[in-house]
Amino acid sequence: MSGGEVVVTPAQLLGFTVLGLAVLIHIIFVSITLGVGLITAVYRWLAYKRSDGELELFARKVFRLMIVSELFSGVWGTIITVVLVGFFPGLVALATNILFTPITIAIVSIMIRIPSIAIFWYTWGKISERAHSTIGFIMALSGFGVPLGFRTLFSELSYPHTISVFLAGNTPPLWYAYTSPLYWSLYAHTVFAVISTGGFVIASIMVLENNVRWVEIGLKYGILFLLAQLIAGPLYYLTIYSRSMYIFNNITFGPYAPLFTLKLILVLLLLALSLYSWFSVRRRKTIIGYTKYLGPIALPIVFLGEFINNAPRYPYIAVLGENGVPISAFFNFYMNIPASLVYVILGFLIFSIIVFTTAAYLALIRGFIVEKIES
Amino acid sequence: MAESLGVEYLLALSAIGIYFHAIFVSITLGFPLAIMALLFAYSRTGASEYMRAARILTYVLSVNFALGAITGTLVEFGLVQVWPGTIAAIASFFLAPLALELIAFANEIAFLILFIVTLGRVRPMISILILGVYWVFAVYSGLLITTVNSWMNVPWGVATIPGALYPFLPEYGPLAVDAQKLVALKILLLASGLPLQDIIQTPEASNVVGIILNDPYLAFYSPYAWVSVAHNIVAALIVGLSIALLGFSYRLYKSKDVKYAQIIRVFYPILLILILIQPTIIGHYMGVNVAYYNPVKFAMMEGAYTTYHNPIIGFLAYGDPNHPIIGFDRFYASCREQTITLGELANSLGLTRENLLEISNNLGIKLDTQRLDNVLSTKVSDVCIGDLKSVESRIRAVNIAYYTKIFGGVIAFISAILLAGVMYRIPLVSSISRRLVNIIGRGDYAKSIFILTILIALGVALAAVLGWYVREVGRKPWTIYGLIYPSEVITVVDYARTLEFTIFASAIIIAINIAGIYAMYIVASRHAVFTQLLERSLSGRR
Repeated sequence: MSGGEVVVTPAQLLGFTVLGLAVLIHIIFVSITLGVGLITAVYRWLAYKRSDGELELFARKVFRLMIVSELFSGVWGTIITVVLVGFFPGLVALATNILFTPITIAIVSIMIRIPSIAIFWYTWGKISERAHSTIGFIMALSGFGVPLGFRTLFSELSYPHTISVFLAGNTPPLWYAYTSPLYWSLYAHTVFAVISTGGFVIASIMVLENNVRWVEIGLKYGILFLLAQLIAGPLYYLTIYSRSMYIFNNITFGPYAPLFTLKLILVLLLLALSLYSWFSVRRRKTIIGYTKYLGPIALPIVFLGEFINNAPRYPYIAVLGENGVPISAFFNFYMNIPASLVYVILGFLIFSIIVFTTAAYLALIRGFIVEKIES
Repeated sequence: MAESLGVEYLLALSAIGIYFHAIFVSITLGFPLAIMALLFAYSRTGASEYMRAARILTYVLSVNFALGAITGTLVEFGLVQVWPGTIAAIASFFLAPLALELIAFANEIAFLILFIVTLGRVRPMISILILGVYWVFAVYSGLLITTVNSWMNVPWGVATIPGALYPFLPEYGPLAVDAQKLVALKILLLASGLPLQDIIQTPEASNVVGIILNDPYLAFYSPYAWVSVAHNIVAALIVGLSIALLGFSYRLYKSKDVKYAQIIRVFYPILLILILIQPTIIGHYMGVNVAYYNPVKFAMMEGAYTTYHNPIIGFLAYGDPNHPIIGFDRFYASCREQTITLGELANSLGLTRENLLEISNNLGIKLDTQRLDNVLSTKVSDVCIGDLKSVESRIRAVNIAYYTKIFGGVIAFISAILLAGVMYRIPLVSSISRRLVNIIGRGDYAKSIFILTILIALGVALAAVLGWYVREVGRKPWTIYGLIYPSEVITVVDYARTLEFTIFASAIIIAINIAGIYAMYIVASRHAVFTQLLERSLSGRR
């Protein structure tokens, strides 16, 4: 544990940066898919219950987002794992011990989530509507099990509730991470954020369909959970203040204050534009042009939120009150990781993003994946 | 040996995960070949049944890919979750292959999505190109993962370190690791009775241990790895294509519609070629490498409790019909020739008792000095003999599994040739095939094809399942051949080592995978009913 000058080597900085990059890209994707999955499941079920064909068509159109992006989103989760083990093997060894239960919950959730997305899409029209709706809810809810598990790691790195028990030479109980005073406010903040973002992304995509009812559904979820964030966000901020002063100072008064301010401004802008859009679709039954920007505004907020949730720990990998555990404590010294290998991999990953973006553009904007079910 | 409670449970759990993953990986690798062949046929003939068949395979491939991805995640996460001692290996020996695998995985997914999105929207040759790129990345992924597994079977770069304990083991390449540190860690594990996780999870542990590997690309240099790559990937292609073959032959049998025979004809030559070369060329070189690099495994495969002569096996395995099949008696004899102790072995590498205590202290390991002295005074021959005895009980099982695998391969091999004789006009083969068809199918063409494809699928499945069993069980008592026991890399979490956890985790894995396989069956077998709701909605919008 370090209280003095912390030295970070270029290799350690590279590891920290690559890890941060992978986390941010992953979070951007999952912030879309978790919310979209939930909204799809709800409206597929409502369509069945109300015999409402338009809602079913909405659900199927919205779900194209999932079919296109979930697997690519998942691959970034794998990238995070490999980067963590490669650069910070000690941290993974520790996490798989003291966070065994949360990580197991996350793995089980992933195992249910990903196949259920593919099954939900490809069995549409091939099984009963009731069974299909059930699969939809399994798909949607399992998604929230992933952060239920993995957010404990983020929480521990900001406030070492379980880690401190371990460092004191004791074995923490299996569920101990869930008693962290930081964890639940972080989880609530995460859940509200992803549902809100999902809603706004749907609203933006549905502008292309020019369907007032569908845009309204997206706006409803976006605004409702953005309002919920007005409680969850400050609550998390206060928890950070009370439990992790180092991060709080960095965000509020330190180098991350401008980004935090920018995030708050974007939140206010999103709130104002979304409310304006809402009143327009509710009262005048028209979609204003600004609505299509709601998703593109929501996503940078997620990016900034996650960035200022993690980057302020630097130069520590885990914060302990006023200082923390330096990056070097868990860094990989078993071999010299060739920087060229890291750059080649990053290059190919950027290439994969380009290919994926092309596929997503063709599917979502050019309508290459149609709502018609093919036999 | 470290506390071994739960090792058998977790080995079984890992096996379940790996076997499910293997099924999906086989489809991931095999189906694209069939799809590309069908799209090519479609582009040449314009016959819509080829495109429809390609689409059905694509839908199944999509669900399958999701299952393959999650079982891969399970195997990967499972590896670090229940065998966290492997983290040290992942952070060193496996890092380059696993990091490069990210390239493969990300691009595999990106190109698969692009293929699904554009299928039917672009020219068939462009679809073939996109799927071809996907397939190359999928094969590349298989290559890298097999390289990692192969290193556990043949730890290339550790040179004579395993041979110092087990004199019957060969040299594993030139020395590219810090032998002193590896031996020090091994002795500390033996002396402390702790799993490796207990050591590497401590802050600064990696810094204290320092560099253990000098060449990050070491795993790629192993000749055993490259033969394994060819063997495993071709096996996966065969399994995947056999599943596609079985599906279409079942349709043919049920419907008697000859279009399914035409569909089979399009991609069957690929499967036939692979089935012909796997045992005769690739399998042979695999056997030669196992005989040389994994002598204990080879003895188990051949049931060699004692050394014996068999000119055929001698010729195939060693290139010399007079070469004996070396059995456990010779291994025991070479163990007994070792007269030094572990302490003397450590000394020969410059490691003293004081060094070990210092390292242990720096790593925060509470070492019982009495236990350390006991380990250091242990004869190397006792360790060697003890480990051989621990696997002797498995010789029979591995031997039966290996020859049942060979039997499965032979069945598949013969059935594949006979099916070729039925599907195409091949001199001599076709006349024999048609006579047999008259016997087994009583003149029913569709039934005969279905029976032959069942035999191919069963033979291939037997060979694949038991082949992997032989590879993995034959690796025991080590996780890393000649170096590390499973009990040394197991989790420190007591709950995870209980039978209850294994049952819980197994139940989840089995339930999800069976549900997924059933969904793939529905996707492949049921025509979509355009739901009334959607129909109404769309007609309203037209």
